[in-house]
Amino acid sequence: MAQYYDDLLTLCGFEPEEIEQERPRIEKTFERLGIGPDDMHTADQWVRQNHDVTLQGVRKLLGAWLKELIDVVLAKDEGKKIVYFGFPAITGPGLMLSASSEDVFVCAPDMVLDHTMGQIFNKLTPILEAGEANGLPPGHALCSLWQAKIGGIVKGMIPVPDLALASSYSCDMGSKADDLVTAQYGTPIAYIDGVMDSHWGEYPDYLPERVQYLGAQINQALKRAERILGIQIAPDAWERSQKYSRPFVNNLLRLLELMRADPVPVSIAELELLEALPGSSTGRGIREGIKGMEILIHELEKRVKVGIGATQKGAPRVMIEVGHTSDPRVTHLPEDVGLAVPLTFILSWVGGPAIKIEKTYATPGETMAAYELAAGPFHGTDAMIKRLEMATEVMKLDGFIKNSLYNCRVSALSSHIAKKYLEEKTGLAVLSLEIDDFDSRTHSAVSLRTKVETFADMLKARKGISDGMRKVHKEQDLAKQVGI
Amino acid sequence: MKALEKLDAHVKTRLTDLSKAKEQGHKIIGYPAGGYFPEELALACDAIPICFIKAGDNDVLSDAGAYLCRWFDPFWRSQIGYLTSGQDPYYTIVDLIVVPITDNHIRAFSNTLGYYTPERESFVFGVPHVKDKLALGYYLQGITRLKKKLEEFTGVTISDSRLKQAIHLGNRERELLKEISLMRRSDTFAVASKDFVALNHASFVADKALMVEILESFVKELKGAAPLPTDGPRILLTGSTLAQGDSKVTDIIEESGGVVVMEEFAEGIRPYWNTVKPDGDLMANLAESYFMDRLCPGWFRPGTERLDFLIKLAKDYKAAGVIWYQLMYRESYKVESYFFPDRLKKETGLPMLIVESEYDAMETGPLKTRIETFIETIRR
Repeated sequence: MAQYYDDLLTLCGFEPEEIEQERPRIEKTFERLGIGPDDMHTADQWVRQNHDVTLQGVRKLLGAWLKELIDVVLAKDEGKKIVYFGFPAITGPGLMLSASSEDVFVCAPDMVLDHTMGQIFNKLTPILEAGEANGLPPGHALCSLWQAKIGGIVKGMIPVPDLALASSYSCDMGSKADDLVTAQYGTPIAYIDGVMDSHWGEYPDYLPERVQYLGAQINQALKRAERILGIQIAPDAWERSQKYSRPFVNNLLRLLELMRADPVPVSIAELELLEALPGSSTGRGIREGIKGMEILIHELEKRVKVGIGATQKGAPRVMIEVGHTSDPRVTHLPEDVGLAVPLTFILSWVGGPAIKIEKTYATPGETMAAYELAAGPFHGTDAMIKRLEMATEVMKLDGFIKNSLYNCRVSALSSHIAKKYLEEKTGLAVLSLEIDDFDSRTHSAVSLRTKVETFADMLKARKGISDGMRKVHKEQDLAKQVGI
Repeated sequence: MKALEKLDAHVKTRLTDLSKAKEQGHKIIGYPAGGYFPEELALACDAIPICFIKAGDNDVLSDAGAYLCRWFDPFWRSQIGYLTSGQDPYYTIVDLIVVPITDNHIRAFSNTLGYYTPERESFVFGVPHVKDKLALGYYLQGITRLKKKLEEFTGVTISDSRLKQAIHLGNRERELLKEISLMRRSDTFAVASKDFVALNHASFVADKALMVEILESFVKELKGAAPLPTDGPRILLTGSTLAQGDSKVTDIIEESGGVVVMEEFAEGIRPYWNTVKPDGDLMANLAESYFMDRLCPGWFRPGTERLDFLIKLAKDYKAAGVIWYQLMYRESYKVESYFFPDRLKKETGLPMLIVESEYDAMETGPLKTRIETFIETIRR
């Protein structure tokens, strides 16, 4: 029998038979999250306001996040052993654990809460406030992603994990917040330590001992996880863990190829749904995400063919560093002022220059470590900025919005250097923007608008665009007119 | 005290002495605070180690604002300000800057050094965040690379005998600081916290042999000195950094009638609790002492060892309360400051006050109110 949530779930890409089959799980999840009939109207409006729901692929992606949410909320009830990893993460160890036992559930729950309680239900604030009241107070530039995780645990929305895989290789706050969870709930931690001690200019080279150390730490953490979870890492876990990574990457490459079109066929806010998915889910979310991508590819191919886009043809093209995980209005902002955004820096890791390692390693840990050092994020700031430079070459760009997360030291490290470096090396105009990518309470789209609008006006003037080019708000109507 | 007067005179002329030493061919090796640079390696190749320890001036933070956003620890932003502005002559006199990379705040300094001041020769090596065999091995590899760099830079080979001599000197300095610190476990003692802190700060720039002489004299003087009035509540002061020039909190505690009996800081106080074994594999011994044996800072994961030690210190030094001095945006310490007070209360019955600073003069009033209230409360 139809329930109050059926329409919303349908809007988010659920098939009627899926809703029917999952009804008890859905209801249990919503009850735990405090979601009821009164929330449906807001959620429906919020989703329609922020996402292009004429695209079935987008709806499926929203659904993928919701399915991941259901799975994490109910994981303990369903007898799973739960492992949380921090974000940004070296996801390989989590994928290997997930591939080794069906009884183990591995994810980054903060990202799941952001993309669902934030992007779908617009109810993230009480969760963030619970995090602030329980160890991560406001006003200290503490990570709002972690505030969501702590808040979710404190409010009983997500279960206390059986193990934390601590990302000790780049983020000081994440591992320390894992200590907070241990102090409060006794959760054991498997630290994966690494040291970002490259000297400026070293990238793309790196010391072999750094691979050895980080690799050995990953292997050691996996051993500890085996002991704590009472499982054995399957001999082919590494290969199996790649099963969903490859199709995801292939689909993303196809999507990014479509984003080269002018006009850009879809808002970058829709591709943001894919930025964090492979780094957050090791289960159903990623599998469903792949299906959603396939649908989206076909839909965008049609749009490109007839020239439908999120912004007008000829709009200045900019890359942003990262989309907003909980409030798509911030991600939409450049498009709202008439800039086309074909790419984010995060997506460029897939769509940009290939990441290669020079040799093969005997253990999965070392292999992962070598890839991570080659990719840049766990190498150093110098590497990150050089990857930004490479990323600008992926798309034909007119500018770059370097949005630095003020409350993420790893991101904030490049707040000033990146602008100077990129302007000098690429000749692109760079807007350095201080934001909070996980929480829009203090860095809302409205508060950022003046800067972005001015930047857009400058880029338009450079391109000789004199009118007030703005986002195409009626792309759905246009799509209907041409029969898509 | 005469020893302190001698030290003061030495520090006042230190820059002139360093200039002369440079003229004589000695290299000056600068390094930022944190205690992970084994000074013995510099001493063993006839170089002079100088630690950058100054902070507390808010104007320098404005200088740093041209290179980094404000959401970093003000001590490390101060170092960026001093490095780029040339306001601290110690920064301009050094020939090589060695940066042990610990957390992201130090990376900010290292990035600035590498990108904005490429003309300054520098060397970085990493300090892992966990204590295990793998981490010890990595730290040892780092200081081994450092040894090679220093040998190349100075043209002096670090032989075992040279290194052993430097270790003896370093050990003696640590032993003496420890001896002075331990005196404060007693109900009556003669050394004021501000003098002990000043000794520590001076030890980061002073000539090592002279510093040892001064410490020896100071210990002798203390043994014959009258005890200080210590009727106020005994305070264990802890935090990430106690910089030279940042005496706001210690001054307020004193003015409010509190007596600081122990300062536990990762940056600004020399790790003096343990010594380096002078026999066998000396490089391995340096790694063991500087990495494994020393008390880990708050950014280690987990930070349990330090929190355990704080409990022990509170008991050993008969503290009446703990003041946790938090520099803004040093997130590791901030997170620990949430869950440590419960544990402290449970295991010692002691209250803890958390005070925060960004080296701003405007903070003084609120800090004074909070510290005075805390001391008045625990005095009863």
